[in-house]
Amino acid sequence: MIRMLGLQLRRDRLTMAVWILGTALLALGSVAAVAKEYGTHHEQATVLRLALANPSVLAFRGAPNGASTGSMLWFELFTWLAVVVGLMNTFFATRHGRADEELGRRELVAAAPIARSAPLAATLVLGVIANAVLGLLLAGAFAAGNADAADALTAGATFAVTGLAFLGVGLLVGELAPTGRSANSIGVAVVIAAYVLRAGGDALGTVHLSSLTLHPAWLSWVSPIGWGEQTLALTDDRVALLLPGLALALVTAVVALVVHARRDLGASLLPDRPGRAAASPLLRGTFGLTWRLHRPALIGWAAGGAVLGLATGSLAHAAGDLAASGSPQIVQTLKLIVPGGRGELVSLFLGVLMLLVGLLAAAAGIQGALRMRQEEAEGRAEPLLAAPVSRSRLLRDAWIVGALAAIVVMAAAGVLGWLSLIGTDPDVAARALGQALIELPAALVFPGIAALAVAVLPRAAVAITWALFAIAIVLGLFGELLRLPQRVIQASPFDHIPNVPFDDAGPSVILLAIDVALAIAAVVLIRRRDLTT
Amino acid sequence: MTHAIEAAGLVKTFGRTRALDGLDLTVAAGEVHGFLGPNGAGKSTTIRVLLGLLRRRSGTVTVLGRDPWRDAVAIHRDLAYVPGDVALWPNLSGGETIDLLTGLRGGADLTLRARLLTDFELDPKKKGRGYSKGNRQKVALVAAFARRAELYVLDEPTSGLDPVMESVFQAEVRRVASEGATVLLSSHILSEVEQLCERVTIVRAGRAVESGTLADMRHLTRTSIRVTTAADPAAIARLAGVHDLQQEAGALVFDVDTDRLDGVLAALTAAGVSALTATPPSLEELFLRHYGDRVALEEPAA
Repeated sequence: MIRMLGLQLRRDRLTMAVWILGTALLALGSVAAVAKEYGTHHEQATVLRLALANPSVLAFRGAPNGASTGSMLWFELFTWLAVVVGLMNTFFATRHGRADEELGRRELVAAAPIARSAPLAATLVLGVIANAVLGLLLAGAFAAGNADAADALTAGATFAVTGLAFLGVGLLVGELAPTGRSANSIGVAVVIAAYVLRAGGDALGTVHLSSLTLHPAWLSWVSPIGWGEQTLALTDDRVALLLPGLALALVTAVVALVVHARRDLGASLLPDRPGRAAASPLLRGTFGLTWRLHRPALIGWAAGGAVLGLATGSLAHAAGDLAASGSPQIVQTLKLIVPGGRGELVSLFLGVLMLLVGLLAAAAGIQGALRMRQEEAEGRAEPLLAAPVSRSRLLRDAWIVGALAAIVVMAAAGVLGWLSLIGTDPDVAARALGQALIELPAALVFPGIAALAVAVLPRAAVAITWALFAIAIVLGLFGELLRLPQRVIQASPFDHIPNVPFDDAGPSVILLAIDVALAIAAVVLIRRRDLTT
Repeated sequence: MTHAIEAAGLVKTFGRTRALDGLDLTVAAGEVHGFLGPNGAGKSTTIRVLLGLLRRRSGTVTVLGRDPWRDAVAIHRDLAYVPGDVALWPNLSGGETIDLLTGLRGGADLTLRARLLTDFELDPKKKGRGYSKGNRQKVALVAAFARRAELYVLDEPTSGLDPVMESVFQAEVRRVASEGATVLLSSHILSEVEQLCERVTIVRAGRAVESGTLADMRHLTRTSIRVTTAADPAAIARLAGVHDLQQEAGALVFDVDTDRLDGVLAALTAAGVSALTATPPSLEELFLRHYGDRVALEEPAA
């Protein structure tokens, strides 16, 4: 057991360290940002009142509890951090569980003189340690934001317990699912379901505007993220609400251990579905193949775009109402929430939200274009290239699928934004759709960069592309907050996208030309290099 | 076109490693050509150059009369390939993979496809991630054989197959050869090559060290004999086809040309035999015996 623990720790030290430290840094950064932006009681009250009037904001964020920094932090941070913590735990459980078993590494270990349950028990222990460390670091982050020590510790414990609940679920899923991939999909689905239940419960809850509090509907009470949120750790003392999470962790872990002790190596309760005996006509070419490989990811990205589109609709609507009410104080506060600071309020809102959608679309596009590299590195491009298929064609197909993914994300966001506004405010609805479409030329730069990197620097392509994307995120979302020079911010293609309505389509046309040029350069240059694994 | 593959002086380097160091390879149209060598000798690298997946640093090469780097797509219309290490798409079934790969070449011959699936006992509905190594290899083999090609390039295609499946594979190679196709079969197993190939090229450290018909290479197909006998060692040594006779712990140890076994065994039994083992030399032994010194001399340079 101890050796198994050592082995798993050794294999996972970097991955887990990145997850834990990344989450803690995210929390620390957000704590600082919230303290800076909503420092005064008055600002907090204004923002929370706006939020409570808007079910979609409550669904998106969480439940406030009075006007204070602690309430503000919990409202802004808890549910999203809980999603990150949940994903960390389910991925962790699969990495050391079903994925290991599927790839045959478990067989090597199981043949050694150790108990059958030792690997699972070791995963459990390591997971508990990881969540405890994460909880302590998060407590530290909240303490750094001036929460008192007891509150900060409760907050850390809440995250740790939420994590443990998902760890148990992840371990159980690993016993049931046939493959590492399906285990991860089910794990992600469970985390998202927990978030969505909580979102529904908070959106449908009873609002008390006078005290700025929210009593969530029952939906929140069947979600581990809902239980965690309702501890209201930074403003209240409801430690008893840690119990349901602990109980879920305990029950799922015990069931996982029992199932594990009784089943064969490689067996699973859910069968792996058989595939088709022959390919459908859609799968007869490389484009069909690339599309088929990228389809599940694309559906996920499009769903993300759709959710952001819906949120855009209701937020833009609210912003429009507020701007119309004309209270300069509120307008001022809203401008504080939104980075940027030019243009009128609705345009500003649409611009920022659609920038988020644009980044999402860019990420979907990058993933599609990098597919070629993944296929090449894992040896699956070789049989294709040994058929009458050129490298240029493979890369072209990957780029097209990436570009399509980006377009689908933008279209999903734009159309849903439009649909959610068309009944009440046709003018803003058209603007939302327009703003979504106008972001496309900037988003499409990224699949182009990915394709070019694959063509020229295959081994570094993945790292280079995502690094450039991360820089674009920082420039776009935090550039003005960090007071970076304007010249630096302009390095991001998204900075050249105008807000709707606009006069000058020139930058968009130039960006489109750059997109096409990048893709053509990539397709031409990849002819010159060896297949590289 | 008399040669399906013609390569001369091929050089390929990866950083400081010289994977191919002036390799020559000639495969006549319509022959089954063995491409032999120990692991790491440069077989797969050569094949990837022939497929246009890697660009040669120097040397000349034509495949089906064309330059494989420039005209890869055109060549591949008439070519079927089985990689040494078969990676499948985890969420595509075997049947889908076969249809995809043959579809790129113009589509499978459906009766052939059905027969191959039966002969290789392959379940086409299983997902790629569910196949064992041998079954992954079968998927690639069915995809290669389910549509006729002019040239078949097979990189250690039997490394994961059991003996029954190996004989199915050999039957397929004989079928396509009888239909006039050219086959390049890379392997590190001498007996497999002996059963299928008319001509053989042997590579070592990125160079062809031997090339010719199997008859030319009789010295490579000798059988090693260890026998305890009353026969006179000097008389045995004088027999036609006996080489390198030595006396070890009361036994005679020597090599015999395989086509002279008859006479040697007759002489041995006539004199009386109390114990006998006969082993075909492994490829590694052959290399050690025939190229050991030369390779040892070259090693520092490589």
